[in-house]
Amino acid sequence: MEWDWTFVRDIMPLLLDGLRLTLVATVLGAALAAVVGLVFAVLRRSPIKAVSLSTAAVVEFIRGTPLLVQLYFIFFVLPDVGISLPAMTCGVIGLGLHYGTYAAEVYRGGIDNVAKGQWEAAKAVNLTKRQTWVHVILPQAIPPMIPALANYLVAMFKETPLLSAITVLELMNQAKSIANSNYRYIEPMTLVGVFFLIMSLISVAFLRVLENRFKERT
Amino acid sequence: MNLSNALRMTAGLGLVAAALSAAPALAEDALAKLKAQGFARVAIANEPPFTAVAADGKVSGAAPDVAREIFKKLGVGDIVASISEYGAMIPGLKAGRHDVITAGLFMKPERCAAVSYSEPILCDAEAMLVKKGNPKGFKSYGDIAKDSEAKVGAPGGGTEEKLALEAGVPRDRVIVVPDGQSGLKMLQDGRIDAYSLPVLSLNALAMKANDPSLEIIAPVENTPVYCDGAAFRKEDVALRDAFDVELKKMKENGEFAKLIEPYGFSAKAAMSTSRDKLCGGPN
Repeated sequence: MEWDWTFVRDIMPLLLDGLRLTLVATVLGAALAAVVGLVFAVLRRSPIKAVSLSTAAVVEFIRGTPLLVQLYFIFFVLPDVGISLPAMTCGVIGLGLHYGTYAAEVYRGGIDNVAKGQWEAAKAVNLTKRQTWVHVILPQAIPPMIPALANYLVAMFKETPLLSAITVLELMNQAKSIANSNYRYIEPMTLVGVFFLIMSLISVAFLRVLENRFKERT
Repeated sequence: MNLSNALRMTAGLGLVAAALSAAPALAEDALAKLKAQGFARVAIANEPPFTAVAADGKVSGAAPDVAREIFKKLGVGDIVASISEYGAMIPGLKAGRHDVITAGLFMKPERCAAVSYSEPILCDAEAMLVKKGNPKGFKSYGDIAKDSEAKVGAPGGGTEEKLALEAGVPRDRVIVVPDGQSGLKMLQDGRIDAYSLPVLSLNALAMKANDPSLEIIAPVENTPVYCDGAAFRKEDVALRDAFDVELKKMKENGEFAKLIEPYGFSAKAAMSTSRDKLCGGPN
């Protein structure tokens, strides 16, 4: 086993290209998850039983099946019914939907945590439904959600190698391809680990800062 | 003492000379000997689709099937196969344990130095699976590079990926496909325009998929081809040449293709190259 720095230099551009795709998938997936989660959370609170129950069923279904299965389904099965999306789009949708259901639960917890009196007070001062949400409930509900959401963001980042199964040439796939054509695993795989570690450490540091800021406020 | 030594030496030399002069006579008679004994002993490996032994002991596989047919035309009624390790085949041939190797032993310059190969019989080459009728007219990886829309699927880090990239197909149009089924589905869904694998693997895949809307282009132009041939002892060149004559006839009249194509081999690939090319010189 020998570490070869020249080889590292040779493969660095390819790996950085893979890292770029990994980050793009994470950022877009997270953005989609944030929106999808909110939609699910709101629908689940709907006073109409049919809406809230069917939303709950969908959320439980997505949360209860593996992301890899969902990715295969979106990429390989949907084309049979005429929906053929590019690999990266499929990956972002998969990540966004899957983590969106986790986010929905975080949102729900955050919203449920807002004291009942706040709703009553909003009603008492005759705020519209929109005003109640935008000015009273969400500003109180969102801050405690942030650490939990950030945790899911790190988890999602670490799950992006699953996208290699649907031919997205992200960091892990790129490393596998390099290893197969050069018969060397040690450098590419070590670098993949290092890249993920660096990115995770940065996110954790960022998470700490956020947490501290919200602690000070309350 | 001196005299007897000299005598012994002369006697020894005479024996060597006799052996040397006998060798060519034996070689010329190699075919006659096989005819007389009624069968040829062939070395096989029991590795389908090249060579296979059925449960009842019947020898099949593409290589023995071709050899059996050619020997029949040469007047040798049958073949008798013995299973051998690949590494032991050439030493076994030289030791006279079998008369010919028909096992998918690919021609390589160092092997050509040790045995006399027939013209190419079974080849593995690069192939492409495309939609029926090859709508984009691909013949080589270069054609894919030229079409700015075309995407090709290939296993990650495999020969096909490397060849496609070398032919100038940009990285984002060479899709890394994890397995055969995925490649097939992606081609059916129009996510890729060609799926590239070696001929044998692709034929096996297409046979399982049994999808009439697809077709295989083989061999891909400007890519290396690896072929085996029947391998004879160096001194049996005459037998090898007789074998080649019949092989050539079968290639021309289509009998050859009929024998090997059911096994997934491409007759076109075998006819696209020659022993001299694969051996890196005359053999």
